[in-house]
Amino acid sequence: MQTKTPAQERRDKIVFGTLAVFLFLVIWYLVTKLTAFGEIFPDPVTVLANIGDKFVNPLGKVTLAGHILVSIRRVMAAFVVAAAGGIVLGVTMGWYPVVEAIFKPIIEFLRPIPPIAWIPISILWYGFSEMSKYFLIFLASFFVITISVYSGVKSVDPMLIRAARMLGAKDNQLFTTIIIPSVVPYIFSGLQVALGNSWASIVAAEMVQSNMGVGWIIITGQQSSNMVQIVTGIVCIAVVGMLLVMIMRGLENKLCAWNKQGR
Amino acid sequence: MMGEQKTKAAGARVEVRNLTKKFGDLLVLDDISFNVEKGEFLCIVGPTGCGKTTFLNSLTRLYDLTAGEILVNGEAVDPKKHNISYIFQEYSAMPWLSVEDNIRFGLDIKGVPKQEAQENVEEMLEIVGLEKFRKQYPHQLSASMLQRVSIARAFATKPDLLLMDEPYGQLDIELRFKLEDELIKLWEKLGTTVLFITHNIEEAVYLGQNIMVLTNKPTKVKTVIPDEIPHPRDVTAPEFVKLRNYVTDMIKWW
Repeated sequence: MQTKTPAQERRDKIVFGTLAVFLFLVIWYLVTKLTAFGEIFPDPVTVLANIGDKFVNPLGKVTLAGHILVSIRRVMAAFVVAAAGGIVLGVTMGWYPVVEAIFKPIIEFLRPIPPIAWIPISILWYGFSEMSKYFLIFLASFFVITISVYSGVKSVDPMLIRAARMLGAKDNQLFTTIIIPSVVPYIFSGLQVALGNSWASIVAAEMVQSNMGVGWIIITGQQSSNMVQIVTGIVCIAVVGMLLVMIMRGLENKLCAWNKQGR
Repeated sequence: MMGEQKTKAAGARVEVRNLTKKFGDLLVLDDISFNVEKGEFLCIVGPTGCGKTTFLNSLTRLYDLTAGEILVNGEAVDPKKHNISYIFQEYSAMPWLSVEDNIRFGLDIKGVPKQEAQENVEEMLEIVGLEKFRKQYPHQLSASMLQRVSIARAFATKPDLLLMDEPYGQLDIELRFKLEDELIKLWEKLGTTVLFITHNIEEAVYLGQNIMVLTNKPTKVKTVIPDEIPHPRDVTAPEFVKLRNYVTDMIKWW
């Protein structure tokens, strides 16, 4: 077998990926048209047509784009706050033993609780306000980011610390020149997992109580037995979720070009 | 050559007095005393597991001492104050820095002015032959290149005292020879005091002005053997072989 250049490999990926998606749609179409599955599930053409239609004509209060933007805005507002807080707490926990001793047990206790378990509390505290969503997204991302960053600080290569110390680095220099750069990949992996969690949680939160957003699309689809609308919502969730991950990876590749795992 | 006066390191005088190190009840270094003169190239050899690395780590105060003191130019050793560099056995290039930024690392830590730092970096890139790879990251480099980055980083600060802990232990023989010659050139040019730890007797005889032989644990200084063969040394010359055999005899504990 002859070796391929990176450009060829990239082209192959795009070609085969597109073919696979196309094939999936064809099979989906055929199954719904040729079998009884079509009676309980819409075919892809109908779904795609509905998606196109709802980008122009409103679904409930706003168009499909409006719903997606509402959900993304909710995620981003809380995610940014959680990221900032999580990075700061994670780094200080890793660096100062006292901070570690205080916060680690609390974080370890709260972390395994799935974000949707907080939904009842969020409703009782914040009702239908945006704050109830922010609260959930914050919980869905904060602990994940904190722990990831913390473990990053803990796993800094001691060899590099020794090397820097021997070159005369003071504590503050050690922090900025060794600890922070070492932790960057861990920050990104934390952010990626947290963003996935957040997106999953916003859908759940909107399904329980809201009047807008991608979760709302699905739940109102169920309430009116509108299978096309449900699948429309699911497709939107999948596509947006995928795009969020891709953007995050792109950012990581830009900022962590040195990191093999980041490639 | 430009900046010739800058390329000269001061060369540190090292005094080790009653250096003792215990890990719990285990006595590793037993009351070691010796001096290293300014600009001296001292090789330290000893049987495997005799505590050579503990010795060097105590010397640089990476470990606290159980007893004794280490003076550099008459003052207690402190990497923040004294211009010391350390080349480790393991690769220690910062993975997020390019080759040239790695070499510049110590200069930035010490706050060397930009212009002068850049000159030093250029000089070191040339000496270790990594000019073409200046923009590469460590994961793109071979083992030998990585170790050359560490060497260049250590020398770039023109250290007064250079500590080397089996720096070539993981390299193949051809490359070891090349880097040994580079080391001698740098040492002759800079006047740095060098403490070079190795388990390789031939390497010690090839490099050092003096060869210190350590005993098995608890480690003491067994003897210091002067090596007055002029550089460049020939490993096949009779006088070289004779000295190598002598050092080997001194090291034997069996």
